[in-house]
Amino acid sequence: MTGEGSPTWEEIAREHGRFLYTVAYRLTGNRDDAEDLVQEVLLRVRRGLETYQPGSMEGWLSRIATNAFLDDVRRRRRRPVELLPDDPDRVLPAAASAEDALATDVLPDDVQEALRRLPEDFRAAVVLCDVVGLPYHEIGEALGVPVGTVRSRIHRGRALLREALRA
Amino acid sequence: MNGHPGDILSALLDGELDAVEAARVHEHLEACADCRAELEAVGAARTWVRGLPPVEPPFGFYERMLGPVRRWARAGVAALAAGAAASVAVVALSTPGERPVAPPVGRLVDAHSASASTSGDPLSEFTPAATPASFDR
Repeated sequence: MTGEGSPTWEEIAREHGRFLYTVAYRLTGNRDDAEDLVQEVLLRVRRGLETYQPGSMEGWLSRIATNAFLDDVRRRRRRPVELLPDDPDRVLPAAASAEDALATDVLPDDVQEALRRLPEDFRAAVVLCDVVGLPYHEIGEALGVPVGTVRSRIHRGRALLREALRA
Repeated sequence: MNGHPGDILSALLDGELDAVEAARVHEHLEACADCRAELEAVGAARTWVRGLPPVEPPFGFYERMLGPVRRWARAGVAALAAGAAASVAVVALSTPGERPVAPPVGRLVDAHSASASTSGDPLSEFTPAATPASFDR
């Protein structure tokens, strides 16, 4: 980290590579799209499209990643919608009697799958809150929405996740 | 509190309410089993997502993207380290195997330019404490 100006993308890759990839994977839900998203983030950084504000590097990177992700979602909406899961090898979790399962019994893959099925706006808010750990006001700044909207998206996103993992 | 807190329940879990708001929600929860169940449900989802592990990039992922840039930079550094004059540097840079490599990033940027758009809470009984997974560096 140079401490001034935008960090170089080599610094980002070296110091925050796993973090950035994780956020991209949680947002997109598959490795191919995560790789494309990480590349897009690094391009935006390199082109100076995103002004680095000293503070949390990971907050800054996740903001760029989320915006790039939502931009891509909007572009895709103009094309025919892909309805099938993009990983044909993936076995969907069987409907189980998870009703009384403890939180610790839920497999990460199942949580990821439920996350992937959330509406993108909810997913972005949940990822920024529960994966990145940003406070609501920063999530609002990242998404360009009021804090009340952030609160609503996080709550509804979590309620949908719980519902999906209960069935 | 009038009506059920709804969205505010998640804000309570995230420590996003001030003391007065939080006290009102707690008061409501004492009396409302539905809201206690809702709090428990969103608290479980919150714990699950926060418990997701970091995801490793594919082996060599960043290196593949950055590798040519590094070779290019190394060639320049090597030339300078030799204490060489500019002409020597040119010779060094033009040595087979150490030729400067145009970073594919630059090409990607150009291609991209053409197409880019403008572009201390007593609730622990309900929700085990969980924080987002940390990322070791």
